[in-house]
Amino acid sequence: MRTNIPLERTPAGMPSLDRRRFLGVSGAGLMTAVLASCTGGGQSSEESGGSSGAEGTIRWWDQFRPLTEMLEQDLFTPYTEAHPGITIERRQLAAADLGQALQVARRSNQLPDVHTLVGLDSAPAALVSEDWFQPISEFADFDSSPVADQIFDGLHRFDGEIYSVPLFSARQHQTIPWYNTELLTQAGVDPEDEPTTWDDLRAVARQVTDNTEASGIFLPAQNPNYLTAIVTQLAMAAGAPGAIDWSTGEYVYDSQPFIDAVEFLLSLQRDGLVHPASAAMIPRDALARWAAGEGAIFPWGPWFIGDLITESPEVVERGLGCWSIPRPGAERHSVRSGPAGGVFWVSTDSGQPAVAADLLLQMTGEDFQAALASAMDQPPALLETVETADVHPAYRDCVSRFAEDVRIAPAPEIGHPEAWRVVAEMRAVQPDLGIIVQSALSGEDIDVAAQLRTFREAASAERDRALATVQQEGIEVGLDAWVFSNWEPESDYMIEDYEGR
Amino acid sequence: MTAELEQLRTTHPPAPPAQPRAGVLRRLRKDWWIYLFLLPTVLGYGAYTVYPLLASWWFALLDWPGFADQGTFVGLENFERLLADDLFWNSFRNSLVFLVCAVPLRVGLALFLAILLNRKKTPFKGFLRTLYFLPVVTTGAIIGVSFTLLLDAGGPISLALVQSGLLDSPVNFVADTGTSLFAGAAVWVWKWLGITMIYWLAALQTIPEEVHEAAMLDGAGPGREFLHVTLPLLVPFLVIITLIDTVGALNVFDLMYTLTAGGPAFSSEVIEIFIFRTAFGASVPQLGYASAAAVLFGLITMGLAVAQAVGVGWARRSIGGMK
Repeated sequence: MRTNIPLERTPAGMPSLDRRRFLGVSGAGLMTAVLASCTGGGQSSEESGGSSGAEGTIRWWDQFRPLTEMLEQDLFTPYTEAHPGITIERRQLAAADLGQALQVARRSNQLPDVHTLVGLDSAPAALVSEDWFQPISEFADFDSSPVADQIFDGLHRFDGEIYSVPLFSARQHQTIPWYNTELLTQAGVDPEDEPTTWDDLRAVARQVTDNTEASGIFLPAQNPNYLTAIVTQLAMAAGAPGAIDWSTGEYVYDSQPFIDAVEFLLSLQRDGLVHPASAAMIPRDALARWAAGEGAIFPWGPWFIGDLITESPEVVERGLGCWSIPRPGAERHSVRSGPAGGVFWVSTDSGQPAVAADLLLQMTGEDFQAALASAMDQPPALLETVETADVHPAYRDCVSRFAEDVRIAPAPEIGHPEAWRVVAEMRAVQPDLGIIVQSALSGEDIDVAAQLRTFREAASAERDRALATVQQEGIEVGLDAWVFSNWEPESDYMIEDYEGR
Repeated sequence: MTAELEQLRTTHPPAPPAQPRAGVLRRLRKDWWIYLFLLPTVLGYGAYTVYPLLASWWFALLDWPGFADQGTFVGLENFERLLADDLFWNSFRNSLVFLVCAVPLRVGLALFLAILLNRKKTPFKGFLRTLYFLPVVTTGAIIGVSFTLLLDAGGPISLALVQSGLLDSPVNFVADTGTSLFAGAAVWVWKWLGITMIYWLAALQTIPEEVHEAAMLDGAGPGREFLHVTLPLLVPFLVIITLIDTVGALNVFDLMYTLTAGGPAFSSEVIEIFIFRTAFGASVPQLGYASAAAVLFGLITMGLAVAQAVGVGWARRSIGGMK
């Protein structure tokens, strides 16, 4: 057997090699090979794709599950066919994971070329100032794009350069009562007979609970952010200006409309109209159970149908529709929503800013916006494309209701160039609105009004602290950045209004 | 005298002059491949254990929003904020309650099962061992999601309790501020019971059969035999198993996050979820503050462990003195 020949028996002149030495040399060789193969983990697209601007790989991260097919069919495939040197690698992450993934990727120099900001979107200007992104205005003519009038300083444009563009409309909210037509019919409710008030909605939910095996309404309470949005929007429908009264700049979390909105939700629960497992659900769980026919009404956002089509298209065929956000009485109040922020941003490390800018410019075009509408996620920035797009009638109905129900609110970041510094400095105050509502819905015996007052005071104190911290750095910004004295609650706050406040 | 000294000199030759530096270098040169093989372990341990440990101490001294490249040194300010943060103490208390409730239950229940499965007369022992071990190899996140459905108000557990008359109305165990933490602890015990049972089975099999036979010949019943023979012999294992399970009880992020996400209203937020929420979940992530929470929790836990060791030692000495 050759392996039994002692290794010492080497030809004259060759160094002798005992077993230990052999193992040592082998180990060194193996490690060298391993190290040599470990060079592909962190290179940017510039390195992997070559130095030419027309070639390479664009890495793309977002959280838009309903847009998966549309992005591939209507943007990436046509673009890569027209630019054979370009490949696009898209990764869809859960919204809850994306913010964390971006932070980790940033620190390991592995940010994708293009990404959304979910989870880190409290102050995009702070990220711009930390050099996360590169401007894209020099690579494409965004000022002539169809969304040019929706591009604002402090949101998309910084120091005169555009970093991102709005792709979705600001005219939306997420308290749309989506209903299961089949269940309503079983319960003897005519979906056309719209419940416009809180009591009307309660009556419909009761009718479903009494006459079918299903629950009246879903109120997924495990996610406090969902509850915050729902309560704030119901409070606005009840007459609150929003979380902030823009005419004074003060927080109003403890105002009567907020208290009434919380009490309305609690009364639904007390009356046994809420799905019994709602407290342990996040909205996506509730959607799955709504699709399974366990409940009739689920207040959520315009992406409802888009999500359902991705998961269970047969449910959409079964029949669904939506109503307007209900209000406590006959008086009609609008829901306010701030201007739409940028959606996709181009990493400062990207070696393909021209390609990324070109893709983003295409996304602002009417063709893409119509395709975006047909995916039935958030409504597109060019809302009029919904009228002619291939969408479900209920989605078209939902978007047309936004035109009546939603008004654009002012944004301090647009009105004052340094306001973002305060927003970025502010820390989360707990327990916040969502947590207070969650406590109450979980059966804890709390004084909601007192808790809301404490939260309002804590939020104001935190903003004052953040303001003081920023002012100590020599930045000139005050509480007046939150005051828009010419704000009319039932009107859109337009760009020209910022000048006249 | 001179002769004696001479004898001493010859019988106890002086030690060679110390040359540690040259020795180490020579050894390095001679046995370089040994250190080469050790290098991956040293690098791995350094990169994934020592560095994060030291880094977290440094980070704890920084005001570091997650989106910034680096933080600003603020000294002990994060610790001052933590000491005044009710939610930190809430999560700290939750972690301790979890520990105190879940670890004795897991250790005790596993011992009980191990004793049953160690008996010769028990049927289907192999099948039962596999059955109890199955949850161990199931992902914590999957278990969390499944038990969310099982434990909600419309789930089978709540309905069974109502139908058996133990509950008046359905309870949402994972979404009730009074039960969510305990529901998490119960699921954790269920998940990990199998591995602790295996530890106990291994421990029981170290006790010679002759010892049991001798106890029976002396007229001891099963209870007395367990109390006076088996249990004393298991005490060293009890210490180790409790330690392992205690460490496990401080690593429950995946299960608790998927089961309750720390809610409702922070009622089941253990320290790991607090750290995660502060570092990644907030709209403005606070890495320095989250690191300070981790460091402070580690220090307090270490302090408690030392106090416990001192207390146990003192108790043992007292018992010894009484004898």
